[in-house]
Amino acid sequence: VPAPSLRRRGDGLRGSSQFRLRAGLVIIAMVLSVFGARLVQLQAVDPGAYAALAAAEGTVEVVLPAERGDILDRNGAPLASSVDGLMIVADPSQTEEAAAETAAFLAERLDVDYIETLARLRVRGSQFQYIARRVPSTLANDVLDEAAVLGIEGLSTRRDPLRTYPGRDIAANMVGFVGTDEAFGGLEQVFDDHLSGTDGAARYQVGGGARIPLGTNEVTPAIDGADLQTTIDRDLQWYTQRVLRSAVGAARADSGIAVIMDSRTGEVLANADYPTFDASDPADYPTEDRGARSINLAYEPGSVGKVLTLAALIDLGRISARTRFVVPGSLARQDRVIKDYFPHGNLRMTTAGIMAKSSNIGTVLAADRFRRGEMREYLAAFGLGSRTDLGLDGESAGILPAPELWTSQTEDRIAFGQSVSVTAIQMAAAVNTIANGGVRVSPSIVKGRAVSDQGITSGTDTVVPRRVVSANTARQTTLMMERVVDPEDGVAPGARVAGYRVAGKTGTAQRVGPECGCYDGTFSVSFGGFAPADDPRFTIYVVVHNPRNGGGGGSVAGPVFSQLMAHTLQRYAVPPTGREPTVLPTTW
Amino acid sequence: MSAISARTSMNSAPVTSDGRPIVSLPPGAGAWDRARAQADAAVNRARLVVVPHRGPVSAPRLPFVMLVSVVLVGGIVGLLCFNTQMQQSSFAAATLEQRAASLTARQQTLTGELEALRDPQHLAVLAAKAGMVSPQNACTMRIGGATSGECTPATRGTTPSPFEPRPAKPRVLTPAPVVVQVAAPATTTDDDAADPGRRPGRGNNADRARAGAGRG
Repeated sequence: VPAPSLRRRGDGLRGSSQFRLRAGLVIIAMVLSVFGARLVQLQAVDPGAYAALAAAEGTVEVVLPAERGDILDRNGAPLASSVDGLMIVADPSQTEEAAAETAAFLAERLDVDYIETLARLRVRGSQFQYIARRVPSTLANDVLDEAAVLGIEGLSTRRDPLRTYPGRDIAANMVGFVGTDEAFGGLEQVFDDHLSGTDGAARYQVGGGARIPLGTNEVTPAIDGADLQTTIDRDLQWYTQRVLRSAVGAARADSGIAVIMDSRTGEVLANADYPTFDASDPADYPTEDRGARSINLAYEPGSVGKVLTLAALIDLGRISARTRFVVPGSLARQDRVIKDYFPHGNLRMTTAGIMAKSSNIGTVLAADRFRRGEMREYLAAFGLGSRTDLGLDGESAGILPAPELWTSQTEDRIAFGQSVSVTAIQMAAAVNTIANGGVRVSPSIVKGRAVSDQGITSGTDTVVPRRVVSANTARQTTLMMERVVDPEDGVAPGARVAGYRVAGKTGTAQRVGPECGCYDGTFSVSFGGFAPADDPRFTIYVVVHNPRNGGGGGSVAGPVFSQLMAHTLQRYAVPPTGREPTVLPTTW
Repeated sequence: MSAISARTSMNSAPVTSDGRPIVSLPPGAGAWDRARAQADAAVNRARLVVVPHRGPVSAPRLPFVMLVSVVLVGGIVGLLCFNTQMQQSSFAAATLEQRAASLTARQQTLTGELEALRDPQHLAVLAAKAGMVSPQNACTMRIGGATSGECTPATRGTTPSPFEPRPAKPRVLTPAPVVVQVAAPATTTDDDAADPGRRPGRGNNADRARAGAGRG
């Protein structure tokens, strides 16, 4: 019978359900009392301290900054690059006591001003003062470690990405620079979205300085900015800048520009401006030196424009390189008398002679063979009066007078490159049209393609070649331009490159002064040309504004052209073609 | 608890395929006999039989309790170990992340230093200090030994200077002092001294002196 065994097992107090209920109640009451006491302690006794602890130990939200893409030269050398930087900040409530020692230490290690640092370490009522911004993180961490060893308190670091320009002034005019929070000028500004990427964010719980593995953990990774590769050749850019600096200095000129283009692709290999600025220290330079004059300064090109005029006339079949002209000493036109830069009587010149001697009168006589509107069409096709859209901001379109303002007097002056304004890059591209066999390729400084913040796509992939003049016209024009550097017949023997055939054209243009808006007696002297003339590889255009040594295009810009061309040909291992220049007659 | 189990058992009487008992009756038996025989068979079939007692069921309990305890303790210890391991890994990860960040920074610094050394300006300064010059014209040598081009020796003149141009010296290094004759004030009264209109006289003189120096 099971009944006795049941009773035996239920014997004693423990078996009593009433006892168990009571005991349980007591235990639950004790536990709840403990909870209650803890609650009172947390909420009533010192809530502030615990809230602070919770904030410090709780969920952390950090921005994961996207790394800004580099700006590279054509070989991958950085023109601008991003480095993991830190800012060093101080908490004056902790640093005030030992401010002098701390300031001395920081001044020695971080190249900061002692007095200013001392003042910052002593700011009353502040817990956050910048000591140094954009310090390379290795240095910042070293400094903090040393400070800890020396017992200096109150210093800490925050992320502060650092933009460096290793070349300092190399290509600074095109690259631009990044300020504390935004990009200023150049490629940095135009392709800001492309370069900057998207910041990410992380939200996680920390304990004891480490992430709690099973706690909240949400990470949106940062999308780093893309690199931007340019067509610039850093070493050639450096050389160009230094040669230009010497030339501008020697001529005691206001400024100078030199552009080197690959004749076949339109890639800008170097684009130098002087004076320019140091991109890692832009504040030390005047604002007007921080841009690219090559694209934003419009000026009258002068006689280099004759290349375009005469090429257009040959293309129309109105003249040839051997067409004979009788060039008088002066030419009375409706409103003024046109003169040449050298006094002469009646000269019997061919078109090649007009080009070689840079005769204004001869060019005007030749330009009389244009029908109405033709010249403007050709100049527009050469790219004058419209932006090249090579990928830099603030580009000027130059001034090509509108058809309704285009009078015969205007046409006379435009024929030899006055009364029309261009930028250096426009003019380089126009001269390059002749070098490239009559096909204009728009210049580009971005390799591949990139979309600017305004949505404009530019780059070498977007270049559209456009025929402006026939190949035969380009050849004839080239032969005429070769006569310009001839030591006997030409005006710019200084632009020759020993061993190579060089074609080019000088320009000495009256300059419109910024104050009066009229010709103020100063000049812009220039030289545009290419080599080897029988198989062009590079087009170089040099312009020097307001030289004070009395030099012209041949004597100031010509030697710069020669030096740059010789160096570029060597650098790209272009051998001389070995053919002698054909000698076109300049007189008859 | 005592386990009493009972089961119904049927006599092993022959049945038909549909379960009805097969009653064998002598030939000539009447309907009554047949009914009675069927009733007997049904009674036989329904009789309960006590299942023989087989002693108390005593499955060993200890292994089961042990198994549950081991699973429980093992689970808890495992969870603890796992948690500890996770925490350790977290610390290790944090340390490694810091190390990676510092190594990245180091790499960037070294890359930066390398770039600074490769900088054309730096190289040009070193080259200039070493007395090196760059050529204006070089010859091209073709395979086979033929050269083309015109070579000229490199000179200082063909080498662009890597150094910033020096600021222009003023034409006169020690300009002559500009003396400005000022009429002595007739009588100075307190009113005059307090008159702010007259006091900047010194400043005006200074301005004039500066302008004079500029012209000189």
